[in-house]
Amino acid sequence: MNVATGRRRPAAASIASGTPEALSGPGAPRLRLWRARAGALAGGSRGGLAGALIPVGLITLLALAAPLLATHSSAAVTSAGPLRAPSLHYPFGTDEIGRDIFSRVLYGIRESWLGAVGVIVVGAAFGGLVGALAGSIGGVVDTVLMRLTDLFLALPAPVLAIAVIASIGPSLLHTLLALSIVWWPWYARIVRGEVRALASRPHADAARLAGVGRVRLLLRHLVPGALAPVIVTMSLDVGNLILALAGLSFIGLGAPPPSPELGAMSAQGLEYLFGHPWVPIAPAAAVALLALVANLLGDNANSQLDQRMTR
Amino acid sequence: MSIIAPAPALEVEDLRVTFRSSAGDVHALRGATLAIGRGEIVGLVGESGSGKTVLGLTALGLLPRNPHPEISGTVRLDGEDMLAASEEQRRARRGSYITAVFQDPMGSLNPSMRIGRQVAEALGEGDVNLIAELLGQTGIPEPHVKARCYPHELSGGLRQRVMIAMALARSPRLVVADEPTTALDVTVQARVLDLLAGAARERGVALLLVTHDLGVAARICDRIAVAYAGRVVEVGTAAQVLGSPQHPYTVGLLASRPRMDGSVAGGDLPTLPGQPPDPRRPAIGCAFAVRCPAADEACAHPAPVTLSGERRCECHYPSALHLWPRRVAGELAASAPVLRLPHTQRLTEPIVPRPALTVEALECHYPRPRRHPFAAAPDPLRAVAGVSLTVPAGGSLAIVGESGSGKTTLLRTVVGLLEPTAGSVCLGEGAPPQLIFQDAGASLTPWMAIGAQIAERLAASGLPRGEREERVASTLEAVGLPREVAGAIPRKLSGGQRQRAAIARAIVVPPALLACDEPVSALDVSLAAQVLNLLCDLRSNLGIALLFVTHDLAAARAVADEVAVMSAGVVVEHAPTEQIFRSPQHPYTRELIAAVPELAEVA
Repeated sequence: MNVATGRRRPAAASIASGTPEALSGPGAPRLRLWRARAGALAGGSRGGLAGALIPVGLITLLALAAPLLATHSSAAVTSAGPLRAPSLHYPFGTDEIGRDIFSRVLYGIRESWLGAVGVIVVGAAFGGLVGALAGSIGGVVDTVLMRLTDLFLALPAPVLAIAVIASIGPSLLHTLLALSIVWWPWYARIVRGEVRALASRPHADAARLAGVGRVRLLLRHLVPGALAPVIVTMSLDVGNLILALAGLSFIGLGAPPPSPELGAMSAQGLEYLFGHPWVPIAPAAAVALLALVANLLGDNANSQLDQRMTR
Repeated sequence: MSIIAPAPALEVEDLRVTFRSSAGDVHALRGATLAIGRGEIVGLVGESGSGKTVLGLTALGLLPRNPHPEISGTVRLDGEDMLAASEEQRRARRGSYITAVFQDPMGSLNPSMRIGRQVAEALGEGDVNLIAELLGQTGIPEPHVKARCYPHELSGGLRQRVMIAMALARSPRLVVADEPTTALDVTVQARVLDLLAGAARERGVALLLVTHDLGVAARICDRIAVAYAGRVVEVGTAAQVLGSPQHPYTVGLLASRPRMDGSVAGGDLPTLPGQPPDPRRPAIGCAFAVRCPAADEACAHPAPVTLSGERRCECHYPSALHLWPRRVAGELAASAPVLRLPHTQRLTEPIVPRPALTVEALECHYPRPRRHPFAAAPDPLRAVAGVSLTVPAGGSLAIVGESGSGKTTLLRTVVGLLEPTAGSVCLGEGAPPQLIFQDAGASLTPWMAIGAQIAERLAASGLPRGEREERVASTLEAVGLPREVAGAIPRKLSGGQRQRAAIARAIVVPPALLACDEPVSALDVSLAAQVLNLLCDLRSNLGIALLFVTHDLAAARAVADEVAVMSAGVVVEHAPTEQIFRSPQHPYTRELIAAVPELAEVA
């Protein structure tokens, strides 16, 4: 009933009057969806949160355990010689200078996965901070921060990343830094939108009347509500980032050789595609698999939170 | 040739509907029985969770598929079994035989389609004059013009009239109207109800009016059925049910309704003990037994049906109770001392204290958007246009008005959530004013424990950290909640408990003024009475002044010393409560009072 009356009202008026219906204005179906998710998540059903985080944690653990699983070092030339076909001892064969591709792919998965998760965490933390500040302070601060965010969003992400790497030189850290720079604005927008919407809800008004200070209001009454949409976005972003990282390293903007990067390995192995196909295909398949798994996990997290919402 | 009595329009027998879900089975209907004769208007009255809406939806064949419903029993429309019918047959019946009017006309109308086309769909033909005639019959002015409008261009009352026109389009035998006027303003509500009843009688259409409001049912119904815990516990003519109720629940429901005649003094509304039943855990015997003073061992068995003429009652001891429940005077007196706090002065000093609130020439304007960038700025919307009010310390003022009258804006300005455009708000001594919101659930932060939210007010009061927990617990007890509630998050509480928790937060440091924005309009009748009593107790025990905004005149009468009637941002009448109700001066006040559905007219 409330939602319905809200829909009938012009959004501007409801925001001006600061009523609960402000949230349900016509322009905010996405927000409303997230609001419900936030409620579901924050309302104590930790299952959704766990469902999203546990698989990510498991793969992260697996990535960290790469040194234990790898049969060889990632850089050492083995005794088998170059371009050996896959065998029991070298499951993915060896590359053009005789390194074990299986071990290199394992390390490559580690780099990609941890890199992607790292960029997302940094992006979400920085973007979240910017968004939370903009959303809660409002006024000039909001305008300045959000126009800055728009500025970053206006530049095509790969071009910006390439420009950053080109200016500070290629290395894994620089690649991750470049990606973080192009990634945070999305989180800033999400968190700002959530915080602003939550700030006009009755519970925020009630907290203000209870004499809650600005910082506590933000941290206890507003930011937790933005958690669920941020987690959903994060889980859906892992796959994108794995592809972005692999893409950058494929065109030579990742860590310089001999570090085991999946994109770079595919690129270097490309000339052996017809004679010794395992050399480029093994790392490429690893990228595809990783991206697929990441997307499935993201979808899963998303729908779990969705389900909790509709139930 | 023998005369065969025509089959009733709707016959529901021993209908059971259980929603299966992983979170537990919800027993929405547990053997409901109800028959509606041809052309008869029957009100199905019940509180939330009583199964009244599910009964209507089952008759329509519109139960949600998820969670999966399990249905048994019989539903016959015009003698034809609807439960055995295929989806195809049911669809054929809907629209031609049985139609519906729902609470939210905006949700039921297609927002991207003109009214006329939607009526044409319901009608099955597109003749413009026919459509206009149909719309005109439901009291829509300029039907030809309105038919070309989109739903958002019409007011709520007009939209509901369109829904009624669509429901009646193909002359059905039965219309199911589920809370058709709940979302409308009081004066509009009265008109739409009368129109619905008139149109139904004129065409000989039977009407099943599903509502939580006995007054609404009393206004138009021939017979009234009372639903409780998934069963229809009492059926009879409106005069019988309202005048001499047989089932203890009906007796209690009637008693706990705030009266317009002022026969019940402020804070002394009788309330039903206990909570409405949880449809997840159905009782084996009489579901009302746990709340019923007449119950004994026999009530652990299903209640027998008593039939007498048109009356039907499911109770072991029908008519055992007449004057019940009585309000226990000073229900909260025992727990009141804990609320007398060291730094709160009881207002018993000889010096006349400063008023809790003085509002002078208050103006609140909202800017209106320009029509185009070069247009002159339009006049702002004057939501509050020069209001002056005084609430004495410990006093109680109700502000009554319909939506758009500016009453909520006034309230929000008083507590400091909005800045006034002009004029002054002067508050009494003591803690800053607190606000009780209409939707208590939304006013509590969903992810924070109740106790932590209440304690936030203590942080500002300077109470030592170690004493806060105890203070929160004693405040919860003072509003009638167990102290364990402190550890729960709002979602775990029922609607009534949430409103109590919100009140606990507001009074943990008693403010000089407690502003209430429709605090009971979202609550069921019996819970509403409890909350109104609680507010009155707080006033007498703690000397908190009440500023009570409502559209419900009966509720205003129950709590207020004085009433201010607001319309279009202005107070049109301001007088002591008795005077307002006895001899309303302003025509708008008279219209408001006349529009309140009142039981006494029928009983």
